[in-house]
Parts: sequence; structure tokens; C-alpha cells
Amino acid sequence: MLLSAIVFLPLLFALAVALWPRVNSVRPLALGFSVIEFFLSLSVLQKFDPSSAALQLVEKHLWIGRFGISYFMGIDGLSLWLVIMTTFLTPIIILASWTSIDKRIKGFHACLFILQTAMLGTFLAMDAIFYYVFWELSLVPMYFMIGIWGGPRRIYATVKFFIFTMAGSVLMLVAMIYMMYLTQEATGQMSSSLLDFYKLKIPFVGGQFLSLQTLLFFAFALAFAIKVPVFPLHTWLPDAHVEAPTPGSVVLAALMLKMGTYSFLRWVIPLFPEAAEYWAWLFMLIGVIGIVYGALVAMVQPDIKKLVAYSSVSHMGYVLLGLFTFNIFGLQGGLYQMLNHGISTGALFILIGMIYERTHSREISKYGGLAAVLPIFASFFFIITLSSIAVPMTNGFVGEFLILLGSFSAMPGYAYVAVLGVVLGAVYMLWMFKRVFFGPAGALVSDDKHPLHDLSMREIAVMVPLVIMVFWMGLFPNQFLDWSKASVTHLIKNRSAYSLAIYGATDAVPNSVTEQSAPAKEGAQ
Amino acid sequence: MKSNITLNDLILISPMIALFLASLIPITLKVLRGNREQNALSTLIQGLIGLVISAVLLGIFSGPAGATAFNHSLLFDGITQWMGILALSAAGGSLVLMYENPATKGNQFSELVFLTLSSSLGMLILVSAVDLLMVFIGLEMMSLSLYLMIGMSHEERLAKEAALKYFVLGGFATAIFLYGVAFIFGSTGSTNILDFLEAARGLVVTSRLFLFGITFVIIGFCFKVSIAPFHAWTPDVYQGAPTPLSGLMATAVKTVSFAAFLRIIATRSLEGSQNLFDVLQWLAVVTMIVGNVAAIMQNNLKRMIAYSSVAHSGYILVGLITAGVSEVGSFGAASVIFYLISYALMTLGCFAIISMMENSENAIINVDDLAGFARKRPLLALCFTVFLLSLAGIPPTVGFFGKFYLFNAAVGEGLLWLTVWGVINSVISVYYYLRPIVVMYMKDGEADIASHPLNATTVAVLVFAACIILLGLSSGPIFTAIEKSLM
Repeated sequence: MLLSAIVFLPLLFALAVALWPRVNSVRPLALGFSVIEFFLSLSVLQKFDPSSAALQLVEKHLWIGRFGISYFMGIDGLSLWLVIMTTFLTPIIILASWTSIDKRIKGFHACLFILQTAMLGTFLAMDAIFYYVFWELSLVPMYFMIGIWGGPRRIYATVKFFIFTMAGSVLMLVAMIYMMYLTQEATGQMSSSLLDFYKLKIPFVGGQFLSLQTLLFFAFALAFAIKVPVFPLHTWLPDAHVEAPTPGSVVLAALMLKMGTYSFLRWVIPLFPEAAEYWAWLFMLIGVIGIVYGALVAMVQPDIKKLVAYSSVSHMGYVLLGLFTFNIFGLQGGLYQMLNHGISTGALFILIGMIYERTHSREISKYGGLAAVLPIFASFFFIITLSSIAVPMTNGFVGEFLILLGSFSAMPGYAYVAVLGVVLGAVYMLWMFKRVFFGPAGALVSDDKHPLHDLSMREIAVMVPLVIMVFWMGLFPNQFLDWSKASVTHLIKNRSAYSLAIYGATDAVPNSVTEQSAPAKEGAQ
Repeated sequence: MKSNITLNDLILISPMIALFLASLIPITLKVLRGNREQNALSTLIQGLIGLVISAVLLGIFSGPAGATAFNHSLLFDGITQWMGILALSAAGGSLVLMYENPATKGNQFSELVFLTLSSSLGMLILVSAVDLLMVFIGLEMMSLSLYLMIGMSHEERLAKEAALKYFVLGGFATAIFLYGVAFIFGSTGSTNILDFLEAARGLVVTSRLFLFGITFVIIGFCFKVSIAPFHAWTPDVYQGAPTPLSGLMATAVKTVSFAAFLRIIATRSLEGSQNLFDVLQWLAVVTMIVGNVAAIMQNNLKRMIAYSSVAHSGYILVGLITAGVSEVGSFGAASVIFYLISYALMTLGCFAIISMMENSENAIINVDDLAGFARKRPLLALCFTVFLLSLAGIPPTVGFFGKFYLFNAAVGEGLLWLTVWGVINSVISVYYYLRPIVVMYMKDGEADIASHPLNATTVAVLVFAACIILLGLSSGPIFTAIEKSLM
């Protein structure tokens, strides 16, 4: 019941917010709701057994018996921190958007809560169709968030976002349907449960593109690659980020992109082990290209937000590189980098939103000398910048270090290029920092008619938890990595014949028989 | 041929008898009152009661057992039951729209109710007919009432043009259909599908005459359900006709035409003729593409929905082909029926929203006219969004599950490439389904619903939207029920 409550409580919150009669008290209400949700999700940590790689807190009910589709949720080391991060960031996002969202406040918070449900559902669903429902559902609130509260070119950006993502995912749907038929062939009973998918042996012919496993692999990988986004498919991201309102950017960068990388880990790599191994070079290659390309393009952006958007492309390249090394360092690093990117890029977008609220400009050239005027803001920005460029003691360092370690032992050639990305990352972030915060005061900063005020208590309250996380995750990485270690080790060891047990099920075989007998009866009639 | 009519026959056609009697009530009352309209609401209620009684009788007396009446010319099986009730419900929904649409309310409402019910009677004949001549009778009864309804409703030029176009092309299609029936009769000696059902698979191979016949019959239906390249009348007629009637044509008429189409396809002629099979597959692909691409370019909202309905005919044709080639079970046919249910809900919902915005009988609603609608009418805008997202196939709406079952059935029969075309098209369609949402929510304007009272239509819209969400979440049992009733 715990996972269901975590996933569907935000939906109730959305309804409550939408029907709340008084507009001025919507924000505190939403903040309260999201904090409740966060504490609820923390109780998962209490019940979670980090020493087990099995699927925990499982809930499984038959949903559409005819096709063996079930309401199936579970959590393991791969999804644990992503769930907590989603619930952790939501109150921060609400607090950060306190003044910047000034129209249709109820609608905005309802969208945010629906989005939270969709993302949590994506992370926790263990049934293909159930997962797909959440995956697609997440598009709708984001579409409204960009389209209603976004910048001047918001409609172009939001339609592009929607169609790009949808285009990727429909082929995945066909692949899922096809795999449901494969389970029927293999076991005589159609099922869309991910655990049954894992058991499939899909024939693989190396070097032949039109072979079954390769096609299915690419149908899934395309959907996730667009979401991540990887290098040639990333063009929707800068548009969406620049036009989205601050909270939209934060959700998009910190959480929605993780849906793509997480799904690589959950679906693509264990489901299609041979194809994933055969094509690993391709994904590492586009990962590396993404790292360098994203960094180079970020360097020349005149707009701070666009710069951060391209830095996302670069950072997600690291994650992809790490995931396809297939060793413990790379995978743990990839997983950790997902969290780091969520914290640091989320924080960067929030900071950019704060300065944008004051000056209504994001052009780097109009700033300069900001550090003297806004010292608190500058300090926060500096800490987050350090985290983003992976300076030791910050969280970013741990992730990038593990990924590089993993890729050196797997494919050193790629690692050499990826290291270049570390340097480039420092270049574009520090150069931007220099141009914005130091040097002669720019046009906006020296404008006497509109004096700039430093951060308010609310804004400090927004930033403090993020900064704490930056150092906590940087100094004590094992406190986080230990929770996912068992699952990652299990994945690496059994990659070619991956299976996921259900925690607490003493004997998995009779259990699965009773689960499958219900649809069998329905089908026989 | 025996000509005695048994009690059993009468019991089976009791839904039609009830519908016929109910259709007479409003016009009889009008005549008795000296050609003055009675209260429109009571006319509407009489019409709805007739439809409900008919639907209940249909639910009771037809079923999986598949009883036949009138010397095997009418069949009351699961298809009749589901599609008949669906068509009657859609007709009921359209009646509600007619009650409050400026083009259809007023001093001819009794006649419209009469014609709607008699058109529904034709629909019931069409869904239950297994004799090709009965199919013809059903088609004509349904269509003749519609020609009249479109022609008499409006004083506007477009409506007259629509009526004439519908009449000419409908007649043309029927002629092609009858031509095919003649061929079939020539090669099999019967016009009854049940008689040549077993032989059809072989006949398609051995008899050129039969192949011609079945092809012409199929082409006749392609006209009726607007499969490209026989779809050209659809946008003009849907645009020109009063909105509630467009809704009726797009949902009820299409449902029953597909029901009859399904019976023809179920003769398994596709298995005998690879060419016919290939041609139908290409027609499905072309229809989806033509419908979706043309819809992108439309500014008129009704025209856009019309092209979208063409595209949806393409999706449904995928299901029909699946039903035509599947050896066992009724998965394909069930997926078609389920899709038609979902399609009827969302399309009628869209037409209901358009109908609410029409202030006069000559109103033209463009997509840009929706600007600001969400601010003025948040609930209705939300419902419209649900309809459009459902049409686009976004989960968890019923539109997604409709597509899921349809494509699932197609993959099961190995029609993988057709499925891929289908999903690619649903991405194309997202582009134009999002446009009204963009305009409603993201542009400023003064869009509002018409000034006259619209309570009934509002209720209908809310019911449609609720059904789309609820049926989406509980689609499994319903689908299983449909599938079982077809076995």
C-alpha cells in the first residue's frame, strides 16, 4: 500500500488544489501537501532492505486479465533514490515558484502534482503497459506547464517537446505488445509484467540489424534516447528549457530526463543483454559526443538558461557513458550522476529563475559585477557551479569520477575523450561565472532605478537544502551508494540472464503460478 | 421460400418495432395539435425514451447465441447487440445536441426527432442484416432519413450542398454495392452471407465473378465509412451539415456501417485473395495518412474533426483486416467494437463542444475562435481537452486502450508493419489534436459558449468525458465481455 499511496497521493492533492476555493492560500496548501508526500516517501527508506537486490514493497493486482496486464509496483536499489529525489525536489520547486508563477496558480500546482504522480509511477511501475501509461501521462502536465506559464516561444517549444517524446515512445509501445506475444509463446500465458519479460530469451544475431532482439532493443532505446536526450535527438531540450518557467525547467532537467536514463537501466540493459553489449559502442560514442558537443555549444551561449540546458546534454552524456560500461563503477556512477544532475542542475535553474525575476533578463553580457551587489546569491551560485563542474568534495565529483573509472576499465578510448569534457565543463561554467559575477558592473547591475535586492529568507530556504545535499552527497557518497549497491551488483553479475525476485517471497515458483492462474481462467472461457 | 412469420421473429425485431412506434409519437402529437410544436423538451424525452426502450429490448433479445429472424436474413448476435446499442446511444447523444443547437431546434424539431428515430431503425436493420438485400434496405432507410435531415435543417447554402453531395455520393456508393451483390448472387445463387459463408474462402480463389462481387461490395462500404480514396465527401458533408447531424453521421452511422462491413469481411474472403488483402492494407495506410495530414491543414474545427474521423476509419480498418484474417477467436472483431465505442464517445464529445459554441445557425467555428475558452469555461475546456487527448491516444483515456487493443490484435495476427504505420500516424495526429488545446489554454481571447441555454448539452459533455476516463481505467472487463459475446 505504501508505494500506491506515494504514487497516487499527489493525484488527490492535484484534485484538492484544483477545487480549493481560495486562491491566496493555494501555495501554502500545496507546499504542505508536498512536504507530507516527502515524509511519506522517507518511510520507504525505513522499510527498504539495502542488502537485497530483490524487488521490495511489491504490490501486484491483476488489472486487465485478458492480456495479463497488472497493477504492479515495486522498488529496488535502482529506483529508490530517484523516488526520494522526486519527492524531495517538489516542495523546493513549489517554494521556488512562490512569486514567479502569478497566474492560474491553482492550475499550476495541479499540473505539478499530476506530473509528480506520473514520474513516480514511471519509476515504480513494473508492468510494461502500466509503465507506459505513466510514461505518456507525464507529457500532458509538462505540456501545459511550458505552454501556459512559459516564455514567448512557448507554444513552439511545448508542441515540439510533446511530439518528439511521443514519436519515440509509440514504437516502444509496439515493441511492448510484441514482447507480450513473446511471453505468450514462451509460457502459454500473455503477460506484460517486466519480470516475465526478463525471463524471455530473445534470439540475437550479431551484425544483423533486422534481427528480433536488435529491433526491439532499438525500439525501446529510441524512446529513452529522446527522453534523455542523447546527442542527435536533443534538439527539443534547449527549446523546452528556455521557454519553460523556472519550476518547469527544474522538473524537466532534474526529474524528467532521469526517466530516460533510469529506463535504460531498468528496461534496455537487462531485457536485451546481447544487443546492449553489441551496440554499447554506439551508445558510449553518442554519450561521449554528447559530453563534448554539449560542452562546446554551452560555451558559446549568450543566454544563461540555454547554457545550463546544453550543460544538461553534456551531463546526461556522462550518465549514458556510465550505464553502457556494464561494470559496477560505471553503473553506480551513472546512477549517482543522475541524482547529482538533479540536484545541481535543478539548483542552477532555480538560481537563474531568481535572478530573472529581478532583472527579467538572462543575457550574460548584460550582467557583470553581480557578486558585489548580491553576495549571498553569488555564494550559492558558486557552490552549485562547483558541484556542476565536479570539484572534489561536491556530489558531482563522485559521479563523474566513478563513471570515468568505469569507462577506463571498459573502453579507455572513450574515457580519454570524456575527460576532455570535465575540462570543458569547468571552462564554460567558470567563464560564465566570471562574466556574470565579476568584472565591471553590467547594464542591469548598475541600473540605479532598479536596485537589486539580495536573496530573501524564502529564497535562502529554497537553496539551503540543495546545498546541504551537494556536500552530503559529495562527502559521504557511501551513505547513498550502499542502498543501490546490491541491485547494481546483481544486475552486472546476471546481466545475460537477468531476473528479479520478489522480496519476501520464500519460493518464487508457486507464487508466480498462483499469480498467473487468474488470467489463465479468464482466457479459457 | 416460406413466408410465415413466427412469434419468435417478432420478438427478435421488437427493438425495431418499438423504435418505429416511438418515432411516430412526436409527429402524431404535432399533427393533433394543429401543426404546432409541442414543448421541445417533451419531444426530446419522447425520442430518448424510444431509443432507450429499443436499446433495452436489443440487450435482452439478442446475444451470443445468435438467433436469426425472417428466414435467416436478420441475425441477432453479439455484434448486433453491442453495435446496435452503441448506435442507439450515439443517436441519443445527437438528439440531445439537436435539442439545443440553433440550426436544429425550433419549429421542425418534432420532424427531426422522427427522422432520427427512423434513421436509427435503418441502423438497427443494418447491424442485424446478414442478407445483402437487407443490408441494402438498412442502408437506404438510414441514409434517406439523413439526407432529409441535412437538407431541411438550415437555410444556408453549405447545408444544401452537403445534403446534395451526400445524396449523390451515397447513391453512387449504394449502386456500386448493389452491383457487387448482383455478382455475388450470380456466383453463389444466394444473397445471404450465412449461406455462402463456408464457401466464400474457396470461391474467391476459383470464381472471378465472386471476387468482383465481394470487391464491389467492399468498395461500396469504403464509401460509407470514408476510406481514402473514397473519403472526399466526408469533410464537405460534415462541415456543411448542422453540427449535431455531423455528430450523428460520424458516430452512429459509421458504427453501423462498420458493423455491416465486419460481416462482409468475416466471410474470410481476404484469406483467399492475397490481392484483396494487400489492397485493403494499403487503403488502411493511405486513409490514416490522408486523414491525419489533411487534418493538420484545417482551420475549420468541424472540418478538422471530419478529417480526423477519416483517419480513425483507417485505424478501424486495421482492426477489420485483423478480424478478417484471424483463424480463431474474436479478438479482432472485439477490438473493432471497443474502438468504435471509444471513438463514438470522443468524437461526439468534440461535436458537442462545437455545437455549444454556435451562436447562430450559420456559425462557423475556427480553431482560433477557441482563444480564451479555458479562462471563460474551465470545466468545458477540460472536457474538450480530454476528448482531444483521447482521440490522440494518450493514456489513461479510453482512446489509448482502444488503440492498444486494436494494435495488439494486429500484432497478434502478424500485421506488424500495419501496426507501425498506425502508431506513426497517431504521432502525426497529435500535432493537430494539440492545436485546439494550445489555442484554448495558451492564447488570450473572448471565446465563449452560445448565449442560449445549453444545460442538456453540458450534461452530455460531462457524461462523455467521465465515460472516457472511467472506461479507460476499467477497459479490461468490458473488452473481455465484448470478446466473449462474439465467440
